[in-house]
Amino acid sequence: MRSQLPLILTFVAGVIPVIALFSPHPVMVRIASRADRWLVIMYAFAILLGVVSVVQSNTKKIARRDRGWPYAIVLLAGLTVMGGFGILANFGIFGGITTVAGRPTPFQWCYSNVFLPLQATMFSLLAFYMASASFRAFRARNLAAGLLMISAIIVMFGRIPVGEAVPFVPMITEWIMDNPNAAAQRGIIIGAALGAASMSLRVILGIERSHLGLGKGE
Amino acid sequence: MRLADRLLAVDRRIIYLLVGIGTLIPLLFPIGLPVTITPPVRSAFEKIESLPPGSVVVVSFDYGPSTAPENDPQADAVLRHCFARKIRVVGMALYSLGGLSVAVEEMNKVAAEFPLEYGVDYVNLGYKDGAQAALRRMNENLHELFPRDAFGRPVSELPLMQDVRSLREVDLVVSLATGIIGEWWINLVNAQFGTPVIVGSTAIGTPKYYAYLKARQAEGLLGGLKGASEYERMLSDRYPVVAEIYRSPTLYTATQGMDIQTIVHLVIIALVVLGNVLYFVSRFRPASGDRHA
Amino acid sequence: MPSIGTWLGALLSLAILSFLYKDNPLFRFAESLFAGVALGYYIGNQTNQTIKPNLVLALTRDFAANWDLIFAGLLGIGLYFRYIKKLAWLARVPLGIYVGYYVGVTITQKLHGEVLPQMKDTILPLSGPGLAPLWNGLMIVGVFSVLLYFFFSLEHRGAVGVASRVGILFVMVSFGAAFGYTVMGRISLLIGRFNFLVNDWLRPLLGAVF
Repeated sequence: MRSQLPLILTFVAGVIPVIALFSPHPVMVRIASRADRWLVIMYAFAILLGVVSVVQSNTKKIARRDRGWPYAIVLLAGLTVMGGFGILANFGIFGGITTVAGRPTPFQWCYSNVFLPLQATMFSLLAFYMASASFRAFRARNLAAGLLMISAIIVMFGRIPVGEAVPFVPMITEWIMDNPNAAAQRGIIIGAALGAASMSLRVILGIERSHLGLGKGE
Repeated sequence: MRLADRLLAVDRRIIYLLVGIGTLIPLLFPIGLPVTITPPVRSAFEKIESLPPGSVVVVSFDYGPSTAPENDPQADAVLRHCFARKIRVVGMALYSLGGLSVAVEEMNKVAAEFPLEYGVDYVNLGYKDGAQAALRRMNENLHELFPRDAFGRPVSELPLMQDVRSLREVDLVVSLATGIIGEWWINLVNAQFGTPVIVGSTAIGTPKYYAYLKARQAEGLLGGLKGASEYERMLSDRYPVVAEIYRSPTLYTATQGMDIQTIVHLVIIALVVLGNVLYFVSRFRPASGDRHA
Repeated sequence: MPSIGTWLGALLSLAILSFLYKDNPLFRFAESLFAGVALGYYIGNQTNQTIKPNLVLALTRDFAANWDLIFAGLLGIGLYFRYIKKLAWLARVPLGIYVGYYVGVTITQKLHGEVLPQMKDTILPLSGPGLAPLWNGLMIVGVFSVLLYFFFSLEHRGAVGVASRVGILFVMVSFGAAFGYTVMGRISLLIGRFNFLVNDWLRPLLGAVF
């Protein structure tokens, strides 16, 4: 039962949205809309699963005094303060997690002054790495790599005001985006969509069951 | 070691410095280069232009701080366009890591520029979990999915929401998206429920959206900072009240950002060309070998 | 003078940027803090925006209409049984429903929302005025050659080999365009940060000092 019940439920949950797309029968519509409501709630619980794993691994790291354990304390402190403001806000303390009368609550303040600068700067580092990679790794070694480089240069030049001022460059750039690029992206979209749909079918039919931690024979 | 080899082995921090200086100089001394309008952005603009005053547009903040410098100017431009045309806006967020906060900050900022009343001219429904489940539920019942707005007020008490019970009463969706959420609005909401969709994508996602745009699954596309700058130009040309806002010296615009893009793009093109020239010079000399391959 | 929040944001930004020189304790402090506040953000966001209004308030304000949500809540909590060794198998029940539902949605989303409309738009006329038929032909050749390139059930030899080699050329042009756009995206993020450091922090600071 421990393995069969989850597989049966996977099948039942999986066919609901598929049948609902084709059948406007009131019973089916009702079942599908209940499923949607339930999944909105389950999704929220699922996202928070990761928090438990991180707390577990970092408390272990501190207890064992593993390498870099002081940084685990910083992580847990950040989690406690931000998460603490978030939890307290549920009980009306600090007035929620957004703004009260146009003024930020502590949660929103921490977002604007700690979380936002940290995440935004972390991602901005990629601009530097991109430039370095352009110089060191971008080589026109063969026809395919040469095409990639020419296309990249045209698009980079054609999407800035200086390039747009050069005759034909904007037209060529838009042509690349609208024709060879759109054709390749369309091929990739169709191929990936067929792959995703067939994998989904394998999951619904219980052929693929690794997500439940089950082997093929279980 | 030959000059070409030495140049190829240059410290990466020199390249970082070039990028940093290329960004900083036009930031301190703006050039004011004009941008050209591309068809995907024009389509998006004309779609909103075609909506009569009083129409309802959902603006979905499907991004967080990681791409805010690209998506924020898109959001601001679309919101300014809607408010200037007296189109009612229903804001929401589906991106879990910061979507709610950017929705609150951007909507509060832009709404303050116009004589608007919260709950009547615009609402912010906040964030909702569920991904595709939430999108499917929206078509049936927005009030059930969003019982409270971003500030904890019951949605049923907001006058605007009396007219908007589900996506069926929505004339257009504008998703400002990082990653895959913009695609969900197209391949689920537009495909199954028929609601027209415009996407404001990050630059990285833009090439893929061209395929959707070409198949008319999207009404328009604002690709990255460039898309936002084009929208700003069209808005400023058409609406003097918005042009006045964009002239504010304290407001940093996507159009100003394109000055910096110009310099850094040229730096990177030069790096690609130089890297290749040095590579081939180094490769075709008998003694130099292929060390940097 | 910049506010305390702006000072904090600026110093944390500089701590992250310091990694460009080399790895250092300041960067690792900021990195760990980022991971912590990001998880804390999830706690506040998910509980305030979904669990409270859609589950707790729905059940406490109108139980008769929403009683079924008890099961949704129990299934959500059930996901956490994976952390209790003896009950870990029970977590498979909500997980099965969760994964099953989303893969079911994916089938409809991908086939109905992507494959059909994209295929439909590839059935294009090869006659007509101007250059349109030529570009239509290019689109048809591009889509099918790219599809063949990613089709590994057939050996890429002979005609299939030629077609897949054409496919890779289309893919390369598209990836080149994607590279160009990626550069733009990454620079935009850098502009956002430099704009904050220069216009929100340094300018007011220098204005206050001088």
